[in-house]
Amino acid sequence: MNKDVKISINGVAYEKSVPLRMLLVDFIRDEAGLTGTHIGCTYEGRCGTCTVQMDGEAVKSCMLLAVQADGREIATVEGLASNGRLHPLQEAFNEHHALQCGFCTPGILMNTEEFLKENPDPSEAEIRRSLVGNICRCTGYDHIIDAIQTAAKRLRQA
Amino acid sequence: MYPAIIEEYLAPATVADALAAIAKHDGEATVFAGGMSVMQAIKARLIEARCVIDLGNIAELRGVSVGPDGAAIGPMTRYADLVRDKKLHGAYQALNDAASTVGDRQVRNRGTIGGSLCWNYIAACMPPTVLALDARIELTAPGGGKRTVPIGEFFLGALETVRRDEELMTKITLPAAKGKAGSSYKKWSTQVDGLPIIGVAVYIETDGSGVCTVARFAVGGILPIVKRSAAAEGQLVGTKASDADGIARATAAAAEELDPQGDRWVQAAYRKLLIQSLGGEVVAKAFERATGGAA
Repeated sequence: MNKDVKISINGVAYEKSVPLRMLLVDFIRDEAGLTGTHIGCTYEGRCGTCTVQMDGEAVKSCMLLAVQADGREIATVEGLASNGRLHPLQEAFNEHHALQCGFCTPGILMNTEEFLKENPDPSEAEIRRSLVGNICRCTGYDHIIDAIQTAAKRLRQA
Repeated sequence: MYPAIIEEYLAPATVADALAAIAKHDGEATVFAGGMSVMQAIKARLIEARCVIDLGNIAELRGVSVGPDGAAIGPMTRYADLVRDKKLHGAYQALNDAASTVGDRQVRNRGTIGGSLCWNYIAACMPPTVLALDARIELTAPGGGKRTVPIGEFFLGALETVRRDEELMTKITLPAAKGKAGSSYKKWSTQVDGLPIIGVAVYIETDGSGVCTVARFAVGGILPIVKRSAAAEGQLVGTKASDADGIARATAAAAEELDPQGDRWVQAAYRKLLIQSLGGEVVAKAFERATGGAA
């Protein structure tokens, strides 16, 4: 049982016929070939590393069918940098050593990019709560918090 | 965890079209609100979803309006929308509290109040909140026939409600406050914003001098379903925000009356303690919101 869908990812339209049961994360990785969006918990909706933005809002792409994104605009980590320049969040993660293995990083970036638009000057506690849906097993989160604070400051000044 | 074969996917744009699609499938279709619970059940193969009817495109099921007759909430209103909605502040502010602590940001961007109420998970945050707010649930059947169910009769048991398979929840209404009113919700979980061990929602109306005239005290996380404590409500009427002893007696009465269960995570005595401790906090907060901090 297939359906024709047209899903825009980072501004590029992908027109495919997909099985109805295909999850959005598999469309992004296997149909569009954008493997920056990761699968960390075998589609259980727990780890958050498959987080992308749909029409500007952070969602876990293993929690949606690809057909639910038909006609929608998806943003993934591959679209964060622009004109050869890393996004301020990516720069701050680099500077603060906010990743070790890096597996969770794409999801954290896509969640946090929206979070900082909603709350441009968050407290440490607010940042920690914003990350409840994103599990990192390496860093202990402290450097991630530092990086988000630095990026928030630069984005406010930009 | 991956969905089994799905044979049909429909995303109607109107309630009428959704009801017609549901009727055509004899109530056997799987209906998606935000899908945050139902998708997990589909992936775990607890639900066989041969036809999915997605309500995500139905604009008429979204939105919050508050007026002199009370509040009306579209069942497809998402947690993220409720969190930000200042119209609910005061009498209905328990909804802001509860929505802000559901799951995580990604879940709040998708999950809906109506989806949560229809799923009726034992420890969900929305059921006790709308119970304390004395909601009425409008259900619409194919053909357009409507019935309205008081929230106290809506929940039947774990994952069971009075909604028939062919019906859609089409509106949640909350009565207007008669005096100055405030409400609040708080939960305790084993992890931040996780499913609560206990969640308590309280609604308070006060007279001009800050004395409670109406109280509703609802608790989630207890078996078999979310419940109100008539004993606590009786004790709260006549108290003021400053009456710490009276409020403590009310929350103790709730713990006694609701008689929560123990399970593999916590003992029954711990749930009792949480009903009292969280109950005291939310009663204080509801009074504060009703009286604007006076009294």
